[in-house]
Amino acid sequence: MNVTLAVKQYISKMIENSGTGMKVLLMDRETTSIVSVVYTQSEILQKEVYLFERIDSQSRDNMKHLKAICFLRPTKENVEHLIQELRRPKYSVYFIYFSNVISKSEIKALAEADEQEVVAEVQEFYGDFIAVNPHLFSLNLHGVARGRSWESSMLSRCTQGLTSVLLALKKCPMIRYQLSSDMSKRLAESVKQIITKEYELFDFRKTEVPPLLLILDRSDDAITPLLNQWTYQAMVHELLGLNNNRIDLSRVPGISKDLKEVVLSAENDEFYANNLYLNFGEIGTNIKNLMEDFQKKKPKGQQKLESISDMKAFVDNYPQFKKMSGTVSKHVTVVGELSRLVSERQLMEVSEVEQELACQNDHSNAQQSVRRLLQNPRLSELDAVRLVMLYALRYERHSSNMLPALMDELSRRGVSERHRKVTTPRSLDVLWTFSGRSLDVLWTPQDIIVFLIGGATYEEALTVYNLNRSSPGVRIVLGGSSIHNTKSFLEEVMSATGQSGDRAQGSSGRHGNRR
Amino acid sequence: MASGYPPPFEGTGEVKEGFLCPLCLKDLQSFYQLQDHYEEEHSGDDRHVRGQLKNLVQKAKKAKDKLLKRDGDDRPDTGSYESFYYGGVDPYMWEPQELGATRSHVDYFKKHRAARIDHYVIEVNKLIIRLEKLTSFDRINSDAAKIRAIEKSVVSWVNDSDVPFCPDCGNKFNIRNRRHHCRLCGSIMCRRCMEFVPLPLAQKLISGTRESLCVPGSPVQSQSPPAGGGGSGMGSRRGSISSLSSVTSMLEEKDDEKIRCCHHCMDTLLKRQQKLEEKDHTPDIVKLYERLRMCMDKVDEKAPEYIRMAESLNAGENTYNLDTAGGLRLEVQKYYELIDALSKKILTLNAKDDPPPHPKAMQLQRMIRYTATLFVQEKLLGLMSLPTKEKYEELKEKRKQEQEKRLQQERLAAQETLKKRQESEKNRPPPSTNGELLQAPRAPRMTKASGWLPSADSGNSRSELQDPLLQQIENIQSFLRQAREAQRTDEVAMLEENLRQLQDAYDQQQTSLAIALSQKLAEEESLQQGEIHRLKAREREEREHWGPAVGSTQPSVTWERCLGISPTEGIQDEENTEGEELTPKADRSPSSVRAFPALTSQEESPPRLRSLGGHVTPPGGEGQNSTSLNPFEEEDSTPVEEDPSNPFFEDIQREHKEVTNGKKEYNPFDEDEDVREEKQAETAPGNPFEEEEEDSDAGNPFLEASGNSPGVSTNPFDGDDDGEVLPDVDIIEEELLLQQIDNIRAYIFDAKLSGRLDEVELLSENLRELQHTLQEQKKKKH
Repeated sequence: MNVTLAVKQYISKMIENSGTGMKVLLMDRETTSIVSVVYTQSEILQKEVYLFERIDSQSRDNMKHLKAICFLRPTKENVEHLIQELRRPKYSVYFIYFSNVISKSEIKALAEADEQEVVAEVQEFYGDFIAVNPHLFSLNLHGVARGRSWESSMLSRCTQGLTSVLLALKKCPMIRYQLSSDMSKRLAESVKQIITKEYELFDFRKTEVPPLLLILDRSDDAITPLLNQWTYQAMVHELLGLNNNRIDLSRVPGISKDLKEVVLSAENDEFYANNLYLNFGEIGTNIKNLMEDFQKKKPKGQQKLESISDMKAFVDNYPQFKKMSGTVSKHVTVVGELSRLVSERQLMEVSEVEQELACQNDHSNAQQSVRRLLQNPRLSELDAVRLVMLYALRYERHSSNMLPALMDELSRRGVSERHRKVTTPRSLDVLWTFSGRSLDVLWTPQDIIVFLIGGATYEEALTVYNLNRSSPGVRIVLGGSSIHNTKSFLEEVMSATGQSGDRAQGSSGRHGNRR
Repeated sequence: MASGYPPPFEGTGEVKEGFLCPLCLKDLQSFYQLQDHYEEEHSGDDRHVRGQLKNLVQKAKKAKDKLLKRDGDDRPDTGSYESFYYGGVDPYMWEPQELGATRSHVDYFKKHRAARIDHYVIEVNKLIIRLEKLTSFDRINSDAAKIRAIEKSVVSWVNDSDVPFCPDCGNKFNIRNRRHHCRLCGSIMCRRCMEFVPLPLAQKLISGTRESLCVPGSPVQSQSPPAGGGGSGMGSRRGSISSLSSVTSMLEEKDDEKIRCCHHCMDTLLKRQQKLEEKDHTPDIVKLYERLRMCMDKVDEKAPEYIRMAESLNAGENTYNLDTAGGLRLEVQKYYELIDALSKKILTLNAKDDPPPHPKAMQLQRMIRYTATLFVQEKLLGLMSLPTKEKYEELKEKRKQEQEKRLQQERLAAQETLKKRQESEKNRPPPSTNGELLQAPRAPRMTKASGWLPSADSGNSRSELQDPLLQQIENIQSFLRQAREAQRTDEVAMLEENLRQLQDAYDQQQTSLAIALSQKLAEEESLQQGEIHRLKAREREEREHWGPAVGSTQPSVTWERCLGISPTEGIQDEENTEGEELTPKADRSPSSVRAFPALTSQEESPPRLRSLGGHVTPPGGEGQNSTSLNPFEEEDSTPVEEDPSNPFFEDIQREHKEVTNGKKEYNPFDEDEDVREEKQAETAPGNPFEEEEEDSDAGNPFLEASGNSPGVSTNPFDGDDDGEVLPDVDIIEEELLLQQIDNIRAYIFDAKLSGRLDEVELLSENLRELQHTLQEQKKKKH
């Protein structure tokens, strides 16, 4: 059930299959992300893979002394690129792995292009998803919905991603989906169809309780992605943006060159692994300890290295020291930037009001708090929109709601038209927060894969993590079409409502029913 | 030790960590909380043996994890997770899984490719055969008409009238745009679309194909029909003749030294040519890279061997020769240099070429160099150094001493076994003792004697119980710190090595121990029921004493002895003594020894420093093996102490004397001026049974003690197990108990006087336990 391990095993198997010698890894845009999330460069280098190339790159040179490992999604373009590649092979031998099911006719086309007989292997290895954490995967798909139905290409991509997760984990599940969501139903049917069609592939050893695939719809819980987060991983994503476990720090004032982009991977970073689910306060303490540890280790100035024993101790500790210094500077920078943003954007206050909006039912208090914050000149545009949205989600149907006034307030603050349009959120009905409640449904010991159409959040990842730890015999993997922070969620909503805002309006009736 | 009895900790479904209560699996944050919980909730329950064993293993694991972390490990970095622990599994800990589903299309692919390749190879061969025919005659001396006739005979030309437009560019043929025929396939194209095969290229292709047919495994051969091969073979002979003429023709710059063909045929021929060229050509980078990999493989093979040697040598063993190891070290280092040199060469390969190599080629070279650097960094730095000759001699000496000591213990063990057998005949279960306790002090003790060198006993440590080992690990860590502070490099190195070994040993030992325990338990379960409560009481009592410091009945004695030695060691006295505090228990309490057959040969050698070495004994947690060991007894029986050459002579003597003193008038409050005074006092009564033993057998208190001593686990971590392991404790004589109670009362009084309230509490607790035991004994007697 470990999705990270599943992808790693696929990749190391590919490399192993190709034997010894210098190798190049040929990938496409998506598989590049899939690989880079689970492996670091130095890990892969040790397996004699020295070059990483895009199949569509024009700048590749003939290097007949390299073996090529191709890990590609089975798209039309990739097959076409590969056919061209095989007609004029640049490398001595090709080991081809598709990340999903590929059609016979495409195999045939490839076979016919391989006049030089350079292909040694053609296989399907189902690593067609981004394994963010052992229990969390993403498909990095944005804008999956048009109104309340699927964006056509996205349905098939989601189906592919989801079936590849099932295959990688060797699960042939029972599928449950959220009845209220048409998108869930469509996806469930689509997955079912693939399982039926490829029944040979899904012929795994039966378990007593069949694994469960639970398909949910983000539109049922729009609140979670709008809240500010206070655990490390979620916070980094909310405030800095975590993309394939990488953070872009280039906008941070006074950042040094080698910290412009940093990788946060629990696989290789002990501190991160120990802290990603801790809240901000605890991280402050831990980072301080880390620093102190580091300073103890650090050779103290020149005079300390004079004696031979010091030298020796230094050399003994060197690899660890070096690794540590990287970790220390990385986390100190990240945590420093987080706390700068927290105070700059007064996130403490904002978060407080958010919690009030989300959890309490006191309209007059809530609207006062929102108004008060909207007056605050230091409130960022995003936070202002966030608050008004939360307010709207909560009190839209309240008899004396202040939404028009708040909208005016927003426009007075110069919030862009674009955002304001989003803030008219009739499209989103929210009943409950995902965390804890919707997942508590049926607890028999079993393997569960939860998929959230429209994107999961790290908050939910944390919930699932804790559920895993607290429920004996239950293993849960969470997936989403993407992993959201507020910003990306707003964009998702915009793309969904961009074309069919009116249709969305009709959904408010459903809201009432469900209550 | 292997048994048919299934180790209870195996086969349990999931692994849980933390201080889980063995009975209700409730997670308690610390050992002490667990202890309290256990006493409160389950004291009435029958002890569930298996559960406890599991608990033990987990506790020990946890304890080890904590200990093995770096010094400042008391931070709550993982602590806060524990609150979530109700039995689920952290996704990071999910059990390993097999490779996900895969599906191969290779067969299908190959089937289609084969069809295609057959076709393609025939095509190529056809072209080459035709090319041969076209070049096999004397083109230069033949007139145009004759050439044309021959060319037409090779392949039938397409009719002009059939092709009104150039098939490639689509232009209409007319007077100005004339038709041209491909001499290889007979097709028609316009002048602009026409290409020429120069004769040298043709020659190369023809001869290359012939050669490739002789090389097995070439794809063309494998696919090509035999007929084609025969044809080209024939052709090549003729070709070689014509190549002479083609040279002449080249000099004359004649128009007919090339052959017209369409670009499809040209394309096919060029591909063929490229393939021929690549086949023979191994780029420099590949040659260098192969050598580089070879060196890396060698390092992977030799380095572990060397490390094994170095470890052994640094432990003073004789298994390997210092010179051999030195040679191996040189060899490995040479490989490192070679790797460095080769990768540097790869890096700079073609770097100064003009034009510069393709950026990707440069990138490849950089990456190889980078990987080699990583490799060297990682492996080379792990390469430990060898001891110098003098140092090695020193080490050997120390080891020898240790072995001798072990030998003595062995002999004792043998005696003890005998005794045990006799006892068991009397239907008495083997004496179980607080053997675990002894272990703990060993490390410091060793340190004294051999200057931070407990490595030898780490080899034996398998037979130890967890806690002593843990304690040892902890001790060594503290020594390590001291040594670092004192900048004593060699000691640091040795200690580190030591520590590592201990940690390894610890893992192994846990398993074997658990097995042994379970065995034992199975045997004695029935006997033990009656003893349980009493034992538990003891354990608690012991534990409480253990809390702050490890107890000893002879603190002052020990301490003095330490002082005697420590100055030579140059380590801060205080630290040493702290370690030493633990030793007396080891001296007095019996320990079980595992037989070391390898050592028997040394039996003859005169034991030296036995008093020190005695503590090295690998104490067996397994009650079956347990024998009483008394280093002091050895001293008495052997005249070694008298040996003036022994540098520790004085110490030993003094020690001996002190021990005797201690026996006679043992006063735990004999604390000197020292810092540890408090601890000593606290811990002094920690092992009441020892005292009893002493008293009970004046002649040789230490030896006998083990025989009679009731199973008492003094080790808080092992507590539960010990309780089980040493279940059939002999009935303690009331007299002794009473005496002990009196002693404790005295301690309490003293503690009260000096205002150590916590101690008072502990002691009174202790007292209560003893009284309880006494009552039980009485009951049993009647």
